[in-house]
Amino acid sequence: MRRHPSAVVVAGWALLNGVLLAVLAVYGESPLVYWLWGGVVLVLALAAAAVLVSSRSAPDQHVRYRVPDRGAGAVPPAAAGLLLVALGFVYGHWLLCVAVPLLGVSAALAVRGTTARER
Amino acid sequence: MTLAPSTRARPDDSGRPVPPGGWLGWISTTDHKRVGLLTAATSLVLLLLMGVLALLMRGQLARPEETFLGPHLYDQVFTVHGSGMIYLVMTPFALGLGVYLVPLQTGAPGIALPRLTLLGYWLYAFGALTLLAGFATPTGAHAAGWFSYPPLADAEYSPGTGSDLWIVGVFLAVTGAILQGWAVLWTILRRRTRGMTMLRLPVFCWAMIATCLMVIGAFPALLAALTLLAAGRADASLFASNAWNIGYQHLFWFYGHPVVYVMFFPYLAAVAEVLAVFCGRRFFGYRGTVLSLLVFAALSMSVWGHHMFATGQAANDYYSLTSIALLVPAGVEYFGMLGTVLGARPRLRTPMLFALAFIPQFLIGGLTGIMVGTPVIDYHVTDSYFVVAHLHYVLFAGSAFGLFAAVYFWFPKVTGVLLDEGMGRLHFWLLVAGTNLTFLPMFALGYLGMPRRVSTYAAFDGFGTLNLLAGIGAALLAAGMAVFVVNVLRTLHARRLGRARPAGDDPWDGHTLEWATPSPPPRLNFPADRPLPPVTSFAPLLDLKRREGSRA
Repeated sequence: MRRHPSAVVVAGWALLNGVLLAVLAVYGESPLVYWLWGGVVLVLALAAAAVLVSSRSAPDQHVRYRVPDRGAGAVPPAAAGLLLVALGFVYGHWLLCVAVPLLGVSAALAVRGTTARER
Repeated sequence: MTLAPSTRARPDDSGRPVPPGGWLGWISTTDHKRVGLLTAATSLVLLLLMGVLALLMRGQLARPEETFLGPHLYDQVFTVHGSGMIYLVMTPFALGLGVYLVPLQTGAPGIALPRLTLLGYWLYAFGALTLLAGFATPTGAHAAGWFSYPPLADAEYSPGTGSDLWIVGVFLAVTGAILQGWAVLWTILRRRTRGMTMLRLPVFCWAMIATCLMVIGAFPALLAALTLLAAGRADASLFASNAWNIGYQHLFWFYGHPVVYVMFFPYLAAVAEVLAVFCGRRFFGYRGTVLSLLVFAALSMSVWGHHMFATGQAANDYYSLTSIALLVPAGVEYFGMLGTVLGARPRLRTPMLFALAFIPQFLIGGLTGIMVGTPVIDYHVTDSYFVVAHLHYVLFAGSAFGLFAAVYFWFPKVTGVLLDEGMGRLHFWLLVAGTNLTFLPMFALGYLGMPRRVSTYAAFDGFGTLNLLAGIGAALLAAGMAVFVVNVLRTLHARRLGRARPAGDDPWDGHTLEWATPSPPPRLNFPADRPLPPVTSFAPLLDLKRREGSRA
């Protein structure tokens, strides 16, 4: 594991949470708490696994990087679309008539790869 | 010898390019520095707005039986002030700082997941607008407090769309924070430059690891709590069962306590960087501090129930034990800060002043936190002004001073020019005086029995003098913030005219990699003609300067 220290950090933190949860079980709590915190420990374990998989497929430190920026123009309309979807729960689902086309535009911009040319 | 990172940007051979300097370039940028700046600048603007709301509250409470704000409007103001400061100011600024600095400190040319980072910003910005839009609704903004317990926050007791907009706004802002948290965490774990081992990461990066682990672990619980609240507002029978009322509190505080440390660790680390740089020595007790940050963060996931002592439905012994255990890692961090400062000859520039004030002021917040983490004391002071004083000593006297230390420290890196030192000092002293005059009397008010969230009090209650003192303190805070705003605007205006004092690339003799690149840094952070210095420790530039010094 010395070769994958970043995965060890996340896994260790998940383990520490698991230990604290186990101590809580000694004291006793409502079932909701075990589901809640247990679920979080699971998410953290999955995150550690993701870091481990990534660490095994690429070096721990880098000299070459990929700087992705294609399709960044899709982000603001996607956020606006998500906002309208959320507001649909307040003002009615008719807002989806605006949100869905906006998300469609966002998808099109993402596929087309529209982006800011930054140097 | 560490090699400079070569970058291989994808050729932009499809899609319509957007001019980089225009507003379209800013709103769709994948440059982590721009996204970080957008996040931090938005949160600073909101800080000013939340400050105005705080002034309204202090004005209302300055005298007994005041009618300047009606009770319902007062409830809206304190709810939006509390929600805004936590969801829209301190948390996003902390993450924005990470988005800006982490790739620079790790020697990377960009952030991992840049488009998700940008999406995180936009969700936050739209969330903020949505939350504030509540004021424009017929029933006004949400008025059930920043934690909005049901049944008070359900549709029967909090009718109107203002509350629904609050739920939507907080949901979006927190989702944005989670996305940015993942991006920052992945950058530190998987995008470090050659030579930057985990134990050569700057203290700030370790603090961001601990912060982001809490963000990805705890923040989804708030999304679940908000979903539960929204469901309860749609179907009132849900909160007829006490199980869901207490269940909401568990979900909320599972987020609500770790978020305190999300709003603390990045600022603590900024203070640590400032202390080390202005003392001209490396941070004392690096490994112990790193370990304590991780243990602190894990313990912080286990203490949420101390907010529920008064319900009688939480495992008080356990939560009290873990709350008191927080003293150990906190003590290690304090030991590190004091060890860095003691015996040094610090340069007392504005960032250092804020960093030094952070140490005793946060200590007051931390120690009173241990007090309210003890059930017998908590039963006495819960929901009183003692709690208000405690949380403001943590988040304002502590974190906000760390925030300003960070702003003054990294402003020259971000803009290439220095803020005015005299105005910075004036800002500092007004803030120190205002902070302590505002929040110290609140401990006494709480102990004497003044409940929090009351819009007024009777003259015979005897709270008048202490509230008046707090009001005068708030006026000093407002004056201090006005000085800060003038300082920033004047400096930026002078920079535009080319009259500002240039900062140079490394005006403070910094220790970490961001000071090895031009100010402001270029698009890919480190220009090809200026290779990164070898990463030999968590303070590579200090090592380099010492090597050069010994050679000379």
